Amino acid sequence: MRNLRQTCCNAALLVGLSALAGQAQAQPAGVLRVAVGADPATFDPAFNDLPVGNAVDLAVLEGLFRLDPQNNVEKSLASESSFSPDGKIFTVKIKSGKKFSNGDPLNAEAVAASFNRMLDEKTGSIYRGLYASLGTIKAVGEDTVEFHLSEPNGHILMLLASTAASIVNVKSVKEMGAEYGRKPVGSGPYKVDRYVGGEGFKLVPNPTYAGDYPATLKSIDFIVVPEDGSRMALLETGAADIVERVPPESMAAINALKDAKVVNPPSMFSINMEMVLRGPLADAKVRKALNMAVDRDGIAKGILGGLGTPSVGMVGPGTQDELRKTFPPIAFDPDGAKKLLAEAGYKPGQLSLSFTCPTGRYIKDVQVCQALAGSFENIGIKATPLVVDRGTWSKVIGMEPTARTDNMGMVGRATAGMDYTLYRLFFTGVGANRTGYANPRVDALLKEGRAATDPAKQKQIYGEVQEIVWNDQPFLFLWYQTQAIGVANRVQGFAVQPNETLVFDKVTLK
Amino acid sequence: MFVLRRLSSALPTLFAVSLLVFLFVDLIPGDPAQILAGPTASNEEIESIRKFLGLNEPLLSRYGQFLRGIFDPSVATSFRTHRPVVVELAERLPNTLIVSIGGLAIGVVLGTLAGIVCAMRPGGIADALITVLTLAGISMPIYWLGLLCIWYFAVNLGWLPAAGASTPMHFVLPILVIATRPAAMFSRLVATSLTESMGRDYLDTARAKGLSETRVVLFHALRNSLIAAVSVAGVQFGGMLGGSVVTETVFGIPGVGRLLVDAVSRADYPVIQYAILMFAVFFVAINLVTDLLTQWLDPRTRDQERLA
Repeated sequence: MRNLRQTCCNAALLVGLSALAGQAQAQPAGVLRVAVGADPATFDPAFNDLPVGNAVDLAVLEGLFRLDPQNNVEKSLASESSFSPDGKIFTVKIKSGKKFSNGDPLNAEAVAASFNRMLDEKTGSIYRGLYASLGTIKAVGEDTVEFHLSEPNGHILMLLASTAASIVNVKSVKEMGAEYGRKPVGSGPYKVDRYVGGEGFKLVPNPTYAGDYPATLKSIDFIVVPEDGSRMALLETGAADIVERVPPESMAAINALKDAKVVNPPSMFSINMEMVLRGPLADAKVRKALNMAVDRDGIAKGILGGLGTPSVGMVGPGTQDELRKTFPPIAFDPDGAKKLLAEAGYKPGQLSLSFTCPTGRYIKDVQVCQALAGSFENIGIKATPLVVDRGTWSKVIGMEPTARTDNMGMVGRATAGMDYTLYRLFFTGVGANRTGYANPRVDALLKEGRAATDPAKQKQIYGEVQEIVWNDQPFLFLWYQTQAIGVANRVQGFAVQPNETLVFDKVTLK
Repeated sequence: MFVLRRLSSALPTLFAVSLLVFLFVDLIPGDPAQILAGPTASNEEIESIRKFLGLNEPLLSRYGQFLRGIFDPSVATSFRTHRPVVVELAERLPNTLIVSIGGLAIGVVLGTLAGIVCAMRPGGIADALITVLTLAGISMPIYWLGLLCIWYFAVNLGWLPAAGASTPMHFVLPILVIATRPAAMFSRLVATSLTESMGRDYLDTARAKGLSETRVVLFHALRNSLIAAVSVAGVQFGGMLGGSVVTETVFGIPGVGRLLVDAVSRADYPVIQYAILMFAVFFVAINLVTDLLTQWLDPRTRDQERLA
């Protein structure tokens, strides 16, 4: 009898213990320390333009849709969505019962208010133009939002899944003013607990969160350290678990550590020399010769320290992979390039080209420019690299093609979606088309592609556009950046999106 | 009276600085609206941001706005954070001051001690050693020394944190690194002027009174040597505020220097303009304090004031 009671007792104890254990596992545990290189300045999605800010917005706010670590669109606040038959109204049903971290309801009205705030000229959002095609946004009842599009847009999901389209609590924005940029009120699994300008900030679990990615960590502590060497030292001393942007020269040292490794996820950042299609570069043969003159593998290995992959298409990996098309790499063939130049009517030394490069904007940008100058000299072109500061560079590459005095400029592109990237860069006369590229077939396809909502049709249209652009070579195609992030071995489940956003959804600590 | 006169003469200086800062920042290549909008933005989008930031206003009215911001901080907001610049500066200033004042204080004390040692035993081993260290201290760039110190004290020995500013321990390394420059300058300065005054007659008088050599050096010779040193300290302090740009980046300290670097790279005009204006105000204040200290240390300058 006594034995039996004891057994019962033990059993009860065991059940209790295991219940406790189960609960302990679900509870957020551990402090993750992340050292980032750039000071985010603001988390307000209407103004943030840094990957660090994206990472925080992904953890603190929710959008109607979101991107998974491979940049695939998945539902977040949305439960279902559909286009009207004429493609002009996009209707989204949102999950009911959602709340902001301050307890305010996150209903259709709040969603509409958030979008309308971004599109309001008085807000001054840097994304107003990008999202202008959303038109007007209306709340219908508690849980339905209608986008009355200003033009049919089959790529609206891509726009809505970006962290720039995260839902902000407009009421809190009004109350807090600019402070909202530091402590945004959202409905994500975490909230910003502490923010010390320039030093760091801390995310803690949001107790009111209800969704698929509950907080797994007791806190995520960010520290801002711009100097590469100092930031790496934090990982080496164990004072940080994740360090952003490992420079090529530090990769070996970090990999040699006992407790940490460098991870190298792909980046959608596509770095190219964008040509000004005038004068000599109006000639397809010259463009082709330039593309053949460059040893991309050599640059990727020798200068970028492996942090680059030779381009096989204009858009980088992660730019809507379902629509992306890749091609065989362009062969390094200086002799062929010389022949092409001769065919185009240029004797060695007759053609001179200049190109503008930024300083410190992209990994090893200055060194690459010097290498490119060497490659061009090698095929008999007089090459002048114009290495300038970031301000001047942004001014030059933003000029109208007719106003440019140089022939090419180094630019990295990493933009949300196929439509956005290709339309802006290659549609004739569009404001951001700085090469002066004009191809009626491409224009027609881009128009058709923008309105197309059927994925199969989109794939066919954008496949053709990408092929035409790749063959026309309005760019000197170079490489896709590779990310390098130092991660301590105790960090589990960490992921990085191709747009360099750190994803903390499933991170746990050993 | 003297203070008032000096202050009133500082006003035109500050006005000129405000004009220069405003105009030079306006000349920085790159359009803030374009940088904010990113490389893929269209002309219309850039134009709309430019309008929002008020960059289309004529130069004179923007300068007026800039001056207005000095008296009404709520109109002077950062392009990036939209918070008043004064809030951004106030948040960062304590860190900059802790590092600069701490570095200067430690540097002055160490440098003066080293200078006294050198002057009392010229040609000795201590003198030789200090001279070598001094040369190293003057020649070594701060960022390089900083990285070496991080590597040795934080990574190798693990005594101090590598970067950041969350605990007092975080300030130890930057303050010590910063202190090398004034320490080196001061040890040279104090040593030279002490050696020079050691042979003076008034020191013999002091010795004749029966004072110990230590008292003679500390209270009679040193006081005279400090007159030059005070002016140097003032210049050094100003230099440190400027140097904070480098130190704060290396050690990851959120100070005004880092704020300025970030602001320049992102063309955040208001932050650049007001931060530089603030530094200019500091320079004027430092010069004033230096002059007052010199007067206190050197009665002759006071007499000249009275005569004039």
